Amino acid sequence: MKTQRLAVVSSLALTGVLALAGCGGGNSGSTNPGGGGGETQAAESGDGNCFSGNLTAEGSSAQKNAFEEAVNLYSENCQDAKISYNPTGSGAGIKQFIAGQVNFAGSDSALKTEAKDGKIEQQQADAACASPAWNIPMVTGPIAIAYNVPGVEKLTLTPAVTADIFTGKVKTWNDPAIAKVNAGVNLPATPIKPFFRSDESGTTENFTKYLAAAAPKNWTAEPAKKWSGKGQGVEKSAGVTNGVKGTEGGITYTELSYAKDAGLKYAQIDNGAGPVELTGESVGKAVAAAKPAGEGNDLKLKLDYATKEAGAYPILLVTYEIVCSTYKDQATGTNVRSFLTSFASQDTQTAIEEIGYAPLPAEVRSKVETAIAAIK
Amino acid sequence: MSASTPKQGRPDAAAEDVRTLEATPSCSATRVVERDAEPAGPAGNPRNEGASGHKSGGRAAADVAARIIMWGAFVLAVIPLVWILWSVVSNGLELVGSPRWWSDDAAGTSARRPGGGALHAIVGTLEMAAVTALIAVPIGVLTAVYLVEYGRGRLARLVSFMVDILTGVPSIVAGLFIYAFWVTTLGGQRIPFAATLSLVLLMIPVVVRSTEEMLKLVPNELREASFALGVPKWKTIVQVVLPTAFSGIVTGILLGLARVMGETAPLIILAPYTKYLQGDLFANLMATLPTMINDNRTEVTQAAIDRAWAASLTLILIILAFNLVGRLIARTSKVKA
Repeated sequence: MKTQRLAVVSSLALTGVLALAGCGGGNSGSTNPGGGGGETQAAESGDGNCFSGNLTAEGSSAQKNAFEEAVNLYSENCQDAKISYNPTGSGAGIKQFIAGQVNFAGSDSALKTEAKDGKIEQQQADAACASPAWNIPMVTGPIAIAYNVPGVEKLTLTPAVTADIFTGKVKTWNDPAIAKVNAGVNLPATPIKPFFRSDESGTTENFTKYLAAAAPKNWTAEPAKKWSGKGQGVEKSAGVTNGVKGTEGGITYTELSYAKDAGLKYAQIDNGAGPVELTGESVGKAVAAAKPAGEGNDLKLKLDYATKEAGAYPILLVTYEIVCSTYKDQATGTNVRSFLTSFASQDTQTAIEEIGYAPLPAEVRSKVETAIAAIK
Repeated sequence: MSASTPKQGRPDAAAEDVRTLEATPSCSATRVVERDAEPAGPAGNPRNEGASGHKSGGRAAADVAARIIMWGAFVLAVIPLVWILWSVVSNGLELVGSPRWWSDDAAGTSARRPGGGALHAIVGTLEMAAVTALIAVPIGVLTAVYLVEYGRGRLARLVSFMVDILTGVPSIVAGLFIYAFWVTTLGGQRIPFAATLSLVLLMIPVVVRSTEEMLKLVPNELREASFALGVPKWKTIVQVVLPTAFSGIVTGILLGLARVMGETAPLIILAPYTKYLQGDLFANLMATLPTMINDNRTEVTQAAIDRAWAASLTLILIILAFNLVGRLIARTSKVKA
């Protein structure tokens, strides 16, 4: 009987400890549907624009690394800010934003204004915000055409040749079509092995948009998140990148950061105004050349993939932060404004360039700053 | 119950009476006890015979073949286990061994910035488990008490059937159900407490089933003795049956907890990962070890991969600790029937 009592005591102690653990933590919640989840208090304390509390965002995995970098830079000054990003994909992010589960969404494409299944994303988002929802371009991710051909240090591709490679028309590296745009390069007779994303991806969508816009004769398929060309399918950016790395003659389209991490070479693109190398500057030029497609502070962009502007690298994706123009909870608005201001700042944009993104060009950045300042 | 007042008369007649009156629990209890006692006797015998007795060629060959197959199966089962443990320990030990791992959250880290701790995820996992237990254990134990001690007829069969169904519910369905209930229907936020509710759904059937088995193991004679002293039924359950089965019930609860702590699917749906230490179940996000593993596993950088391994090792260690505590309680409070 004595041992039994001991057991009772010890197990009571155990549950006690667990219960205590359950009591730790902050003040109980202020849920505020529509405006997003999370407690939001005490915005804008004395030093700078810091806030303490939570900010949640969800969406595109393409901007995850940039987002994390931005959060880390932000919290160097504001240690009490807790900003979480859940990289579940653009579609999921927009859904959760509309459902009022997150404060803002990250997406590879702006909110759709055409009806799909009888629903218009833009309208749903406006309704959830009870104010217009804005698309704010924040991170531009160049898509590199990475290849693995030993001995070929520099490769130039035109949209037509790229389309032919990814539709399987051009089969070897020394094909005359490639040789024509690469005078003086010693191309081997290795077969070309294209790799594509087998999962649905914003990268695929933007890459096929580029092919369809810049080489409409050679690429006839409708641009989509699902790949419609030839080649070998592998999941995720890391998958296609590793596939090319391990396959002589391999070629793929992937975010620059992955190509860089894997140590792959990537091609220059010649849209008609001479070969353009992939750099932060050349991508910035293409973003700057994009036409605004929204009104006022809704800054969605229409990229000109077929651009012939000299020195502009045309294959890229722009990821947006989708925000409410006026948040139901004022503190949330202030916190979103504070963080995005830091995200769009020169320092942060330069920092994300180092990890394979491109900074916003000055003209776009000043518009973005104006829009962010108008968030309430 | 009339069984609580044994009739006057010869003892064996009374016993017979009780057996007929006490329908299910008595039968199952004695059956279990008998089953327990059975193997001890005959099990020892044939083996001795086989070892000492003369063996014909065919039987010897069959013996060898059976041995080989048995050992083969054993080795096959152990290889993946050892392999998993080895890779988790060798890949995760370095980070888990660093003091920061146990005292810091992951703020300031990223796929490219190594280091950081897992305190946020450890606290989240323990907190959710504690609240899950707080809700699931009373419901589960009381249901089991009902099924074993009181349940008769249609309602009991229905409850038992429902528990069976609940046992078969995949964790992702439990998560989606709570999402549909909490977020879509009630319009609530994705908060850690909602995730806890889905874990409760998963834990209840485990607790009910294990507690039920333990209560059935309690010898019916104890109940009868208590009834014979004029103790009412509820008091018999509280003071005789439950204490007797106590160690087994606790072990079952801890095993259920261990299962629930490793659950991932409902957490992905209802409790997105965050890098910060948060203690509030009713607001914001809360990190747990499974979602921490999931978040880091999708990255290609070494820093993230290391964190995923270390979080796996931490989860294994915590569950191991729970199992050990369960064993310890079971050992220290063995019933002397």
